[in-house]
Formats: sequence, C-alpha cells, structure tokens
Amino acid sequence: MNRRQFVSGLGAAGFVMIQPVRVRASAPMAPVAIAKCKSYGDEFLAATAKMFDQLGGLGRIVKGKTVTIKINLTGVETARQDYLPQSRTIWTHPRTVGSVIHLLDRAGARRIRVVEGAWMWPASLEEFMLKAGWDPSLLLGAAPRVELVNTNLPYKGKKPYSRFTVPHGGHLFPAYDLSTAYAESDVLVSMNKIKEHGTAGVTLSIKNLFGITPTTIYGNKVPKDEPAPIPYAGRTDIGHMGSRQPPTSSPSEKDPTSPRQAGYRIPRIVADLAAAAPVSLAILDGIETVAGAELPRPGTTEAISPGVLVVGTNAVNTDAVAMAVMGLDPMADRGKAPFETCDNTLRLAEELGVGTRDLGQIEVVGESIKDVVFKFREHGGPRQWRPPGGRRNA
Amino acid sequence: MQFENVVPLRWPSGPLEIARREKGEGFNSQIRQTLERWHDPAMLEFLKDTAIDCIVISWAAGLAADAEQQRTAAPLIEAARQRNLAVVGWVDGTADHNAAIAAAKAAGLTAVAIRGMHGSSDFPAITWSDRADVAWDSTAPVVAIGGNVWPGVSLASGGADASAGPTGVPWLDSNGWYIQMARARLKAPLWVVFDPPAGPAVPSPQSYVKAICDSEAAGGRWVISLDDNLRSGLAAGNTAAWKDIASAAAFFKDHPDWKSYRSLGLVGVISNFAGSDFDLTGEILNLMARRDLLFRVIWKSQAMAQAMPQPFTGLKALIYADAAMPEQPLRRKITDFVEQGGLLITGPAWGKAGTPAPPDFQTQFDVLAVGKGRLAVARNAIDDPYQLAGETQLLLSHRNDLVKIYNSPSSGCTRYTASPDGKTALLQCLSYADGRRAGLRTIWVRDRHPSTRLWTIEAPPVTLDAHTSEDYAGVEYHLPANATQAYLALEFERQRREA
Repeated sequence: MNRRQFVSGLGAAGFVMIQPVRVRASAPMAPVAIAKCKSYGDEFLAATAKMFDQLGGLGRIVKGKTVTIKINLTGVETARQDYLPQSRTIWTHPRTVGSVIHLLDRAGARRIRVVEGAWMWPASLEEFMLKAGWDPSLLLGAAPRVELVNTNLPYKGKKPYSRFTVPHGGHLFPAYDLSTAYAESDVLVSMNKIKEHGTAGVTLSIKNLFGITPTTIYGNKVPKDEPAPIPYAGRTDIGHMGSRQPPTSSPSEKDPTSPRQAGYRIPRIVADLAAAAPVSLAILDGIETVAGAELPRPGTTEAISPGVLVVGTNAVNTDAVAMAVMGLDPMADRGKAPFETCDNTLRLAEELGVGTRDLGQIEVVGESIKDVVFKFREHGGPRQWRPPGGRRNA
Repeated sequence: MQFENVVPLRWPSGPLEIARREKGEGFNSQIRQTLERWHDPAMLEFLKDTAIDCIVISWAAGLAADAEQQRTAAPLIEAARQRNLAVVGWVDGTADHNAAIAAAKAAGLTAVAIRGMHGSSDFPAITWSDRADVAWDSTAPVVAIGGNVWPGVSLASGGADASAGPTGVPWLDSNGWYIQMARARLKAPLWVVFDPPAGPAVPSPQSYVKAICDSEAAGGRWVISLDDNLRSGLAAGNTAAWKDIASAAAFFKDHPDWKSYRSLGLVGVISNFAGSDFDLTGEILNLMARRDLLFRVIWKSQAMAQAMPQPFTGLKALIYADAAMPEQPLRRKITDFVEQGGLLITGPAWGKAGTPAPPDFQTQFDVLAVGKGRLAVARNAIDDPYQLAGETQLLLSHRNDLVKIYNSPSSGCTRYTASPDGKTALLQCLSYADGRRAGLRTIWVRDRHPSTRLWTIEAPPVTLDAHTSEDYAGVEYHLPANATQAYLALEFERQRREA
C-alpha cells in the first residue's frame, strides 16, 4: 500500500460528512531526517543520499514507480532578492533537482517527471525554465526517462484532468481537478525551500501543493462552465478571495458562505490538496533561502543561509519539524506566529489525517532540531501580512 | 544648418498661441500670462548651458493672429540667434505654406516645420505629418512625425493594475517600436512630436525623462514639449523640475553615434508598413517591444533591393504578416532563409509545403520542417498581434534570449544594438514605472564581452564586472543601487581593441 492508497483508505469512511473529522490522534507519523548542508552540488547529493538511507531507503518508495517531483518556481521570474538568483532564495534549486533525479534513478524509479504549474502562457515547463534562466538539460540529462510537465496546461491526451477527492470531505472543496500527470504518478515528491509566507504563515512541502491546481480551472478569468484552453492569470479570485467558483465542470466549494479571506481559504485548500494528492517524499531545502516572506519584498525579505535540509516521507511530519527548525511552533494556532492572520495549514492537514504535527510524536533522525535551529523571525524587516479581504498592509 | 543632432524644444508663445488656446477648454489667465511671458526674449535664459539648441516657435496657422505672431516674435528670434539657438517656425492649420516660408526667410528663422509639406523648398523646410501620412522618401532636413503617445504605464487601461494580457505584463505606452520602424526607412533625422497628457495631472520630471529616453533609445528625438504648469513655473523662475529634463536631453546629445547602431534582435519583421498591413504589423512590433522580444525592422522595399543581397543575415526568425504575399524575388530570399535554418512565421496564403513538426505548445500555427529550418503557417488569417508576438517568442524559444532584466518593474522596449563596425554593442534598458520600489537590479546577457561600461543620465560611466551566471549560460551585471530607474545603458566592447 502506498501513501495515496493509505490516505485514500482513511478517507473513504468519512467522505460523506460535511465537516472534516478531527483525526489528529490517528494522524500518521514517519521519521524525519535532518542534515546540515552548506552548499548545493556534491554536498547536497551526499547529504540527501544519507538522509534517504536514514528514512529506510529510497528504493522501497520509488522502485518501478512513476515518480513526480513537484518543484517550486513561484512568482515572477524577473524578481530577485537583491542580486541572487531565485534558486538561492525562493525557488527549488535546479542542482538539487538534478541530484534527486539521479538518486531516484539509482533507486530504480521507472519514470521521473518534474512538474510545476509554470507561470507562463502557454509554454512548456522547459520553455519556462529557459525564460527563467535555468538550463533544463541539467534535469533532463540527470537520468534517462526524465520528463518536464507544465501542469498549468491541459495534460496531453484524451483526459487532460483527473478528479482528486479529498478524504473526509475536505475543508473547502470536496475534490479538485488536477492535471492527469498527477493521476499517473505513483510517488509524489515535493521539493522546495523552507520559507515564511505572507498569507499562510509558512510555505513548506504541503504549501508547495497549492501550485498543482491548474490555472486553466482555478485561475482568474477562466470560463464559467469549462476549463480554459490556456492559463490566463493567477489563482487569486478562486483561491485567495473566493470571489467566484471554478468552472461548473469542476467541483464547487462546499460552503460558499464560508469566510472570503485568504488566511482562511489558502490553508484549507492546501490541507485539502495534501490529503487528496499525498506527498510521499518531502525534501525541504534550507541551505539558502529568504526570511520574511515567500517572494522578494524589499524591506521585508532577507537572504539567509540556515545550512540545513529536512526530509521525510510524511509531509505534515516533515513540515512540523521544518517549522521547529525555523524557530516556529507547529502547534501554534491563528493569532500566534507565524499564523498571525491565518489558520495553521498543518493543523488542517492533520485533521484530514495526513500526518501529525506534534513534535512529541515525530521521530527525528540525523541532526537534532536544537543543533540546527535557525530563527527566521530574527531576520528580515517587518512582516507584511495580507489582511482579510485586502492587499498587503505595506 | 545640420539638424542631425539638434535638440528641439517646443516654444508655444505669443498672440497666435493665445488665439489657438483661448477657445479651448481650461484656458485661463494664468495660461495667457505664461504664453505672453514666453514670448519675452528673457525667457530664453533658462536654456543657458543646456543641450537645447533649437526652439520651435508657433509661426503660422492660417489664423488672423499669424501676422501679429510673426511681427512680435522678432525680438525672441533675434535673442535666440544671439544665443546660437536655431529657430524653427511651426506651421499648421490652413496656413499658406509659401507665405509662411517667405515670412520665415524675412524674419531670419533657421527653418520652418510644415504639416503636410511634401514638396521641396529653397528654404529649409521640415516635413511634419501624422503617422498615416509620412513622406517616407522625403529629402527634408528632418522628418517630424506626430500622432504619438505619452510614454509610461498606461493609465487608460486601469492604472497600476493594468495589464496587456493574460500574463499580466504591464501595459506600456511607448513610441519606441514606431520610431524603430520609421528610422529603418528614413534617411533624415526623425523628430517625434507629442505633448504631455492634457488634464489636471501634472507630469513629473521623471515622466519627461522617460519621454526623452523612449524616443532616444529607439533612434528618434522628441521635440520636447512642456505642460502649462511647468512652463508657468519656468516663467516664474522655478527651474528645479527642468534640470532632470535638461540632463536627459544633454545625455543623448552627447551620444549621437548611438543612433547609427543597428538592432541585434533575432526576429526580422518584414512588411510594407502601410494601410491595414501597418495596423497589424505595427501592433506586432509594439507588442514584441513590450515583451522585450528584440526585433529588426525590414521594409519590404529594402529587402527586395539589389543593394541588400542578404537582408536577413544574423536573424533566426522572420515574421511576414502582410495580406499580399511577397513578389517572387523576395519570396525566394525568404525561402532560402528558411532552408538554411531560419524560421518563418506567416499567414495561410504562404502555403504549407514541408514536413509537419508540431511544437510542444498549443499554437495557431502549423509548423513544418523545410530544409534546415521551419515554416510556421497560421491556420487562419492572422488577426491577433498579441498572440502572434507571444507565439513568436515561444517558436523562437527563450533558449535564444539575448537579454534578461531582473528587478525592473514595468520595464520593456529594451534596445540591443551594435555599432556599424560591430566593435561596440549597446543595451539600453527603460523602466516605465512611476515610483515603484524595486530591489537591486541585475542584467543578464548571453554573450560575454571583454569589457562593459554602465551609462546613466546623471553620473559618469562606470566599469561593470561580469559575473558568470550560476544556473545558466551567459553573464550577469549587478547594477549599483543608485543606478537610474528610468534609463540606463550598458556599452559592451565586443572585441579587444589593439593598444
């Protein structure tokens, strides 16, 4: 049984219920590995290989499987933190992706797909990478059978989208229509940086899943009754603000009277996705990143070098440990850092049975949290929170 | 008088300008007073030690006030002459051209600028027209073209949130694409004519700087035209706002050679640029400029000329979107370009001979392999320039990008050119944002050059170090924090000069 089957099984009994069942007590736990790592390249390769071994080996998860790596290329490709390339501040680093592809191949993965909802019309992911200043051959050449898929576009073939039902009925939507590339995936890997987030408090392995919703369905300006043929805009209307519903061809919100606040909605959408499309391997890069927000914001964000990696096979467990590494409390609720203006995504995912955020229940292997903790809140300028229903306050 | 590097300033003043303005909306005593004050030779004092070496005064409009205007302008003309300023008389409306020229001669003007002047004259006569009526083959000392926009992020399209399309690229108003098109054809210097936007909003000094840079980077010269408020302030002795404008004008006057540089863009756009073909192809140029898809304008007549046997050298793609297919000699040249490895993007009338080679994105084109190159033929008549500009960029691929600019909001209309001898390249970057905060800027270029200098309007040039790009090919230049937001230029020495 893989994680998807496992979580889907959990969800079957509770699907008909309108309100999510609080299943935190039975939320799964898997070990989380921590390693110090100061650089990309060989040091990263060696560190992650060791961490995978500490978690029981990569082969047991990926051998003979189609592995999908969800990377993170959020924001405008021309916005940088100072002079630094995005790969050192806000995006997944391409050399880490190349290294993981290499390790996945060595562990027997049958097919490896690198995916992202690339913010570009209407190009392939490869073309987006070229525009963004990446060399896609680094990834395509890291192993045989590597593919790049832009999941913001309709998936090629007769079935562009597949429906992913949220176990326990979901918080905001009962199900999501995602690229069929995700349905063809046996193992979903989430690879991104450890960062704070202006709307969701933190952005870690499950927040990375917000980008799997295709903007042809969940983006602004999509048609009323069917997906758009190409992406038109971001997800603000349907995602952040709830000012409209997806096309009628996709499931609508469970409760259209629920708060129209990004701090309420985004954590719930992310938790839903974490349950509907569970991450089997979460790889969080804290080698270099930014403090203050998820994207470069002059006066707020600061480039930092925590020099740490956090890897796990349960995304909520991994994110909880990563929060602790950031000097933040994964048990914090709305009103407390880093969730000053939003709900705790980890709690919401935990309620859907994805995994526990209780550090007391999570086994940490490799380095201990206290030896690598890097307090994000001690860096960067004043945080800019997105107030309910409005723009940022700065 | 050589007009090659003259810096003109529109000088509305006197009875004719008052007669013209007083029937219009918003005319008031302050404007009248300003127009009167500007007729006073003493007003020329603020031009002292500036690059402005030409004033363009109101001369004739077919109104009763013409004669009074010409009579009372004599002291202003004389004072200008003593300051070595050229004086051009602006002639429009129903004015009698011959009479205006005769009066100009008698008054000692340097030249006249006559709207609709298509013939020749024994007195320097600048031809002036709107875009639709340009005398492309004019032998006039200067061709002035009106009908332009005030450069900036478009307010008409929704202000700061305005976007040009699905990807949210800011909607930039720029004349750069048109100026490039016109410069590719004209032999004479090009004066670009437009006024500050009417209305209560007063343009900032920086928006004037943008207006100058937008024209200059593309190879034109704006006939600087000030708003009532600014002219009123200057009449009252307030020159603070003028200094930035004067600095920008001086900067470009000091770099006349840059206007002779040729585009390094990889996409050639071929057209006759007339009628409905201009409507479509002009907008394609406009939208390509906004997304920094660097292009080279190729007039069909020039591509067919014997003097240009290889008009497509250095290009990777051609766009031919005119309704009528090219005559056989040009079609042959284009076909040769494709067979030798180029890409042609064109309409359905071209025909679809070749082997299907579909790209990996949804497109309005059938793409065919022809020889070593590709032919992209639209399935239906090309009528969406936005889509064509976007798909051209993808068909060409960002693999061929020459330049990327980071942390420069509302940038666009970048120009990348090379000197005629090929030894120097010039990258001119513009930002149309007004007061938006951005981080430190980086410019990436694909080619590594032996040395690079950063030019800004307000500071002497500085040498920039090249940093090897970490994730990709090419090199990056980190701009100092205080580098101008609106405009900067990187000058690359392409080959080491011998000592």
